[in-house]
Amino acid sequence: MNLNPVSSTLQRIGQKMLLPAVLLLGAVGAHAAAPIKIGYSDWPGWVAWQVAIDKGWFKEAGVDVSFEWFDYSASMDAFAAGKLDAVAMTNGDMLVTGSGGGKGKVVVITDYSSGNDMIVAKAGIKSVKDLKGKKVAVEEGLVDHLLLVNALKKAGLKESDVTLVNAKTNELPQVFAAPDVAAIGVWQPVAGEALKGTPGSHGIYTSSDEPGLIYDTVVASPASAKAHRADWLKLQGVWDKVVTYIQDPKTQPDAVKIMAARSGVSPADYLPLLQGTHLLDIAAGKKVYAKGSGFASLYGSTQFVNNFNVAQKIYKAPEKIETYLDPTFYSGK
Amino acid sequence: MKNEKNQAVGRARDRLQQAGIVFASFLIPILVWCVVSYVPFIWHPKVQVTDPGAVDYFQPGMLVDRAEFDEQRALVRQQGLALPSGEPANPIYLPAPHAVAKALYTGFVTPPVQKDAPWLHQSLWHSIQIIFWGFLISSLIGVPLGILCGTYPLLARLSEPFIEFFRYLPAPAFGALAVAIMGIYDGPKIAIIVIGTLFQQVLIISNTTRKLEATLIEAARTLGTRGARLITRVVLPGILPDLYRDQRILLGWAWTYLIVAELIGTSSGITWFITQQARYQHFDNVYAAIVLIGVIGFGSDWLLERLGTRLFPWDSAKTRK
Repeated sequence: MNLNPVSSTLQRIGQKMLLPAVLLLGAVGAHAAAPIKIGYSDWPGWVAWQVAIDKGWFKEAGVDVSFEWFDYSASMDAFAAGKLDAVAMTNGDMLVTGSGGGKGKVVVITDYSSGNDMIVAKAGIKSVKDLKGKKVAVEEGLVDHLLLVNALKKAGLKESDVTLVNAKTNELPQVFAAPDVAAIGVWQPVAGEALKGTPGSHGIYTSSDEPGLIYDTVVASPASAKAHRADWLKLQGVWDKVVTYIQDPKTQPDAVKIMAARSGVSPADYLPLLQGTHLLDIAAGKKVYAKGSGFASLYGSTQFVNNFNVAQKIYKAPEKIETYLDPTFYSGK
Repeated sequence: MKNEKNQAVGRARDRLQQAGIVFASFLIPILVWCVVSYVPFIWHPKVQVTDPGAVDYFQPGMLVDRAEFDEQRALVRQQGLALPSGEPANPIYLPAPHAVAKALYTGFVTPPVQKDAPWLHQSLWHSIQIIFWGFLISSLIGVPLGILCGTYPLLARLSEPFIEFFRYLPAPAFGALAVAIMGIYDGPKIAIIVIGTLFQQVLIISNTTRKLEATLIEAARTLGTRGARLITRVVLPGILPDLYRDQRILLGWAWTYLIVAELIGTSSGITWFITQQARYQHFDNVYAAIVLIGVIGFGSDWLLERLGTRLFPWDSAKTRK
């Protein structure tokens, strides 16, 4: 009599029951053996990591990471709760998360927004100056509120010269359809839908008018940044490879295909979103990480956001930005 | 003999009629949806441009407000230039039935584009598991507690005020706390479903228990039944059919928490599909997923109802006719 099938079934059942128990033990005990957990979400500069994930480049580089796909705000919650080693977020949101206790350090600068964030205005409005006395809808406290404030300042206006209408980012295209709303501040892909939904509308100011206003980064918890320093440096190497792969015209279609699949859209729809994102390889990131006061420096940009957040009463006292930034990660050591 | 046959025929006719009514209750809203989608002069507040003509910013496929389209058309006509043309259309937020049906079909037959990404049915299965565990855990606590509260007034007075208070707290607001305690995967999602269901469950079941005829309990007590025996031999058999019905309603309740629960932690399940597709305005896919949830919910409830009439034949008078 052949008992093999029976015993293999038993074995399988045993494995199934054991697995959760082992996982539970693993969560309690051996932290060192667990992979580095990074939360990422739907922004071209972060979806780019998918290329490395699908190609198995982390394994090649000898670094044990697991990327977890999140909704953006859920990913920051999980990071603040200490459930992730690192999370992909903007430098401004890093400060907001940090003000609540979820401190972090920038270990990789992935990109800056270069056109994906925009102030979309109705047909009659030619420039930011024309917004004076009009209603502008944004989600208050988020990056494109910052973009609007920056745009108004450059046009010689104050924030009080326009009437702000607060609305959820995803609902802004519908808000924009209201006759008395002159403009909205929003990012892609929602911006594209607003442009399509309200014919004649156009972008009057975009993040490409102020490159470096919004930097997108991977922020690690201070503990993980210290404990896994070697791994983070290896991760940078992988990032360099990803940027090269996306920017090389020969391999770009394949990269866009991978990224579009992650976001659930067609590659043709995805390409414009990628083009509104200026990816930074390690050489470019090194320049950005140098101290400076303008938007070309991560320091300058982060300080600007810091002031904005305090002015908007998102948090009371300014955050100490030096504790979030550590250029030695980019000095090749 | 003949009479019996007549009765059987009558019953069959009744059943057919009932099935017809169920069918009609679905048919009417679907017909309304069809009319709104396919009859061009009903609603259709937009115009889909087919030929931009001489209007500078029109593009083929663009959705324009009808008033704006007419205005631009009149303007171009005055100037004697090429006229734009277009067809009446609904906003992108209301896809037509055939588009949703097609999305439903393609959702199941197309493999995921991304490597290792779940198929639609796998996402759905993941969501069903979340609901199952959430409801099971909630029931393991809620059903016994509800019965005890219904049987012993002192326990009810002790626990119900707090439960009454807690059931008004919005379950999703505990999301961040759930992540902090239970991690980023399925734990916090299940926890939200439990929080959303449990407190209602205790109150509903204790209420049901209280409705059991007091004379039954009194008689049992007079005959010397106490403690666990009172509950297992008198209370439980007495309320079982109603308890079953309560559980069916509460299961539906648990489903309504699914979407908020799955937004917490890593993106997964059917919610990931719905929110991601909505972000890129693929509303045919969104509605297809919504329909799927409805079908699963309605189907499982129908099965449970059937099972209920088998399990509790003496209770058949109360079942839905």
